[in-house]
Amino acid sequence: MMEFRTSEGRVEIDAMRDGSSFIHEGMIVHTGDKLWLEIDGRMHKAVATKVGDVWWVHVMGHTLQFELIEPGASSSDDEGSLTAPMPGKILEVHVSQGQSVKSGDVLMVMEAMKMEHKIVAGNDGVVEEIHFVTGDQVPQGAELLTISE
Amino acid sequence: MLKRTLVANRGEIACRILRACREAGIEGVAIFAENDSGTLFTEMADFAVKLEGTGLAETYLNQEQILQIAIDNGCDSIHPGFGFLSERADFARAVMDSGLIWIGPSPDAITQMGDKMTARITMKEAGVPVIPGEEVTGGLAEVLEIAPSVGYPLLLKATAGGGGKGMRAVHRQEDLESEARAAMREALNAFGDDRIYVERLLTGSRHIEIQVLADKFGRTIHLGERECSIQRRHQKVFEESPSVALDSELREAMGHAACDAARAVAYEGAGTVEFLVTPKGEFFFLEMNTRIQVEHPVTEMVTGVDLVREQLRIAGGEPMSCGPLNMRGHAIEVRLYAEDPSNNFLPAIGELKKFIAPTGPGVRLDTGVREGDAVTPDYDPMLAKLIVWAPSRDEALQRMGRALDEFVVLGCTTNIRFLRELCTNKDVIDGWTTTDMIERMWPDGWSPDQSGQIIDAGLLIANACESTNHGKIVTSSVGSSDSPSPFSTINRRFP
Repeated sequence: MMEFRTSEGRVEIDAMRDGSSFIHEGMIVHTGDKLWLEIDGRMHKAVATKVGDVWWVHVMGHTLQFELIEPGASSSDDEGSLTAPMPGKILEVHVSQGQSVKSGDVLMVMEAMKMEHKIVAGNDGVVEEIHFVTGDQVPQGAELLTISE
Repeated sequence: MLKRTLVANRGEIACRILRACREAGIEGVAIFAENDSGTLFTEMADFAVKLEGTGLAETYLNQEQILQIAIDNGCDSIHPGFGFLSERADFARAVMDSGLIWIGPSPDAITQMGDKMTARITMKEAGVPVIPGEEVTGGLAEVLEIAPSVGYPLLLKATAGGGGKGMRAVHRQEDLESEARAAMREALNAFGDDRIYVERLLTGSRHIEIQVLADKFGRTIHLGERECSIQRRHQKVFEESPSVALDSELREAMGHAACDAARAVAYEGAGTVEFLVTPKGEFFFLEMNTRIQVEHPVTEMVTGVDLVREQLRIAGGEPMSCGPLNMRGHAIEVRLYAEDPSNNFLPAIGELKKFIAPTGPGVRLDTGVREGDAVTPDYDPMLAKLIVWAPSRDEALQRMGRALDEFVVLGCTTNIRFLRELCTNKDVIDGWTTTDMIERMWPDGWSPDQSGQIIDAGLLIANACESTNHGKIVTSSVGSSDSPSPFSTINRRFP
């Protein structure tokens, strides 16, 4: 049993292992020097690589990402936090710690690749913590600030 | 003849120019900012010089520093590429004042074409069709008098205006008087000024551009058109030549107008004249881009002309080498962007852990990156351009689809899948490409056409790879000091 996070949410997979091959719902993946996906006796070439906790997979013309969830990791999804949609630089911080904000308020503006992106409050609440200041570079997925309901 | 050219750009276009320099027997000099150390274009140069400072203003936009590097390193010319300083008349002038050759049109031509109103007047005087329009100062009677010559449908807008106030679309002559009264009233109320501008309203038009080349020997030619209607966020993603909307007669007429436009500003080098083409086959001057363009390869593929090589030739004072226009087959270019098309085309970054590029018949890849490179938020997200040539448009679309199927990029999100789906999109196949088509087709955003089986397959692969540590480098004794490399022995055996 292995658990991954996808764009659609968390998903578990239970594959049967046979040596270097893995079987699941009529599909067989052969690992080794090369990676092959076998469906009904037909072999499809696949490419995969791991970056951090994320497996990037290219198969049948599609590129997919699956983030491995280590067993025992907390299952709560970071509620009340706002994360960087992409890596970039913080341009403006519009709020201060302890400030009350309303859903829809612009909290921060960040810039990446020449474009500006607004970080907007999803709920009413109070700014508990601001993790970055103007000018900071932030990686994708970084928690920018915490808002308590 | 040029001897040593500094390329004042980076990434893909710097690679393109440096390659042309090498082919032409000209030494190519790259300049690079600290965060571009070790990237592909710096290696393609005969030598590379580091720019001091950080951020664009201190590096690739720093005119003084770039010019000083060129002088200190014995360069005789500067190629600006596109973007950055390519359309800065002041830089062009500074380069020329230092006794160096500017590979591009004169500063005057850049200035004249850079300002839209000046360009419009210059073009009108040169007999190049501009979007019909007149400023009306003489009240209602003059509006009624001018309207027929502008043509319907037309747009009335406040000269002083903005924000849609005083703006009226008129589709039929019988509505003109009442709409004009309303527009003038609105203009007066909003801006205290009832002057209005009458302009033809161009709906359902295509964005088609003509490539021109002009040398110092009085020769100005056009190299046919490029159709660049498929855009997202007002940036082109898919370009082709020829356009399905042009027949040879219209191509000749537009080509002729484009050459007139170039001559009107005594243009030298490679340039592009952009037109709007209406469904009725009328065409109107929009603007002229006074530089090499991103999508120049499609013209190169169908005309057999090496545009960058011609730029170098023309700047070096030689006549251009091309013969009469001979367009052959069909070429398509797609722009590979580091971006997430399923998330409003937001730029992405990451390390290109896998970058497996397509090859095979009719495929050209103009790339600024390769496997192992990092895509950072510091620069434009365009990584590469994939260009195909085929005998017909249908075959070119099929070939592009095939090439994109071969293209594997892992570690950074790209628009490959989106581009792949464009190749089989019915409107694209039928040639119904307009500038608003992406918003029209996917009003709620695009998402990949992915079956549940694909996702399951991907999960199983991830599971299998994680369980077997697939793709992890297995450290072996190769390179370690205690096992002598067999190659050193071979070297001795065959000195």
